[in-house]
Amino acid sequence: MVPRSLASNLSKWAYVLPVVIILGVILIVPLFFTLWMSLQYMPIGKAPTFVGGQNFFRILRDPIFYHSLQKTILYAFPAVGIKAVIGLLVALFLNQKFPARGVLRGIAIIPYALPLFIVCVFFWFVYDYRGVGNFLLKLVGLTPIHWLSYQYAMPAIILVNVWHGWPFFYLGFLAGLQAIPTELYESAEIDGASPWKQFTAITLPLLAPVFLIVCSLSLMWTMGDFVTPKMMTGGGPADATLTIPIATYKIAFLLGLNYPLASAYAMTILPIFIALIYFTVKRLG
Amino acid sequence: MRRKKKNGWIISFALLLLLWIFIPIYWVLKTSFAPEEEVWGMGLPRNPTLQNFRDIFTMGQGSMAEVTGAMLSISPTIVTPLGNTLFVAVLAVFLTMLVSSIAAFNLSRFAYRGKQVVSSYILFAYVFPPFILMVPITVMMRRLGLYDSLWGLMLAHLAYTIPFATYMLRGYFLGIPQELEEAAQVDGCSRFHSFIRITLPLAAPGLVTVAIFSFVLSWGDVIFATVLLNTQERYTLPIHIGFFLWGGEIIDPGRLAATALVAGLIPAVLYIAIQRFVQMGLVAGAVKG
Repeated sequence: MVPRSLASNLSKWAYVLPVVIILGVILIVPLFFTLWMSLQYMPIGKAPTFVGGQNFFRILRDPIFYHSLQKTILYAFPAVGIKAVIGLLVALFLNQKFPARGVLRGIAIIPYALPLFIVCVFFWFVYDYRGVGNFLLKLVGLTPIHWLSYQYAMPAIILVNVWHGWPFFYLGFLAGLQAIPTELYESAEIDGASPWKQFTAITLPLLAPVFLIVCSLSLMWTMGDFVTPKMMTGGGPADATLTIPIATYKIAFLLGLNYPLASAYAMTILPIFIALIYFTVKRLG
Repeated sequence: MRRKKKNGWIISFALLLLLWIFIPIYWVLKTSFAPEEEVWGMGLPRNPTLQNFRDIFTMGQGSMAEVTGAMLSISPTIVTPLGNTLFVAVLAVFLTMLVSSIAAFNLSRFAYRGKQVVSSYILFAYVFPPFILMVPITVMMRRLGLYDSLWGLMLAHLAYTIPFATYMLRGYFLGIPQELEEAAQVDGCSRFHSFIRITLPLAAPGLVTVAIFSFVLSWGDVIFATVLLNTQERYTLPIHIGFFLWGGEIIDPGRLAATALVAGLIPAVLYIAIQRFVQMGLVAGAVKG
């Protein structure tokens, strides 16, 4: 009996085997390789030698690491917060009944339907000195600015991320809103609850699970966002938008060609991502 | 009275939403149709032209040489990068759908030991931020001789598409009643056959949706294209489009706008075509940004 159930188990495994193997090769093996690489010292063109935790000590003493960590947080948290607010407002709005709602629902996902690198190109035009951004500033009587200068680069790229990413929250929240039984509102109405009271007592608590999932997914992906800073500023000017993904890229491919150090960079922040992933996977699974 | 007030609210909010979405889009649209003298104008071009679109297919970034003083002797057209991007995306989607649909069917139908582990593994891969793989994937592709190759890039894209597709399809298959397959099996169909004959056709909207999302994931990849490609003949659209920016300045705005529209149109049209199937679950992770 035992061998037979084993055989049947194995035959079931056969279906998932291709996926498991492919992901193993392009995800798990590279991950362990990163770990191994982070413990090496490798001058350009030479074979790597084992140096233990040296790269990690170097990173932990390096102010640039803390700087990029700080930039990552300053980038991701405001971006996720603003996306959540816009997404919620639009979801509440498009959950109302009115003509043309269907059209607006379709239009609302357009920013998300465009690949992020295209959105970045759109915002090259917005942030050009002769572009839309300064046109709007002049319209409201302000002086034009250099949008991607040291001072404004971070808020500027946050806006790009927000413009592209808010429909993700909107879709999540809309699905959440539609799942709330209307009887709840009807009985609240009968009991004389104000719209605001209904919102805080029914809508918000019932949206909380969706809210947590959407926010943690987005937080993870925004912290790991390579495309926006790469396309908009390349991490600059100077180090104004040097987030961890960009720092990793620069160390590995632009400045030092230092794979071990870049690997150690990725490894150092991996625990943060693993924690977020664990939290998200537990909720999704 | 109250109704009127509500209408006012709705109209103003709708207007605000439309402005927010369409201002950047409008700008690129009108720039792409503008002749050179009018590219930085605010309004619609007075002499709209299709010249920019014609140029990107025939001359490429031709005027870059003029603007930057013979910076580049080559002026690549959009044709090669468009073809490369399409090639990689189509191939990646094909492979993804092949292995993911079978795995997803397995995960949604069978019970066996270790299934939970496989599910978690795929979910882990699905939410994993790909930038961490930049260095090891590059080193690996170099060892495999797949550095600076579209095949290598396609393989790397499977890291986005397979976990996404497997996870989403699993959800779709779970929504299709198992009784139908069982009925087919009573009539003498094998398990695998009942999957091919019954479940797959029923899941067609789901399959199409997942395929399109996977396509867009591959189409929009910047990370792996940046680190894996090294010669002009193999550049994909995100790399190609980067050459329009020189020292932070836009070179040739008209052709850049036209390029962006061409590169963005295909994913956007596909997206809107499947709009009514788009559910929250599906969109989760369509873009790891």
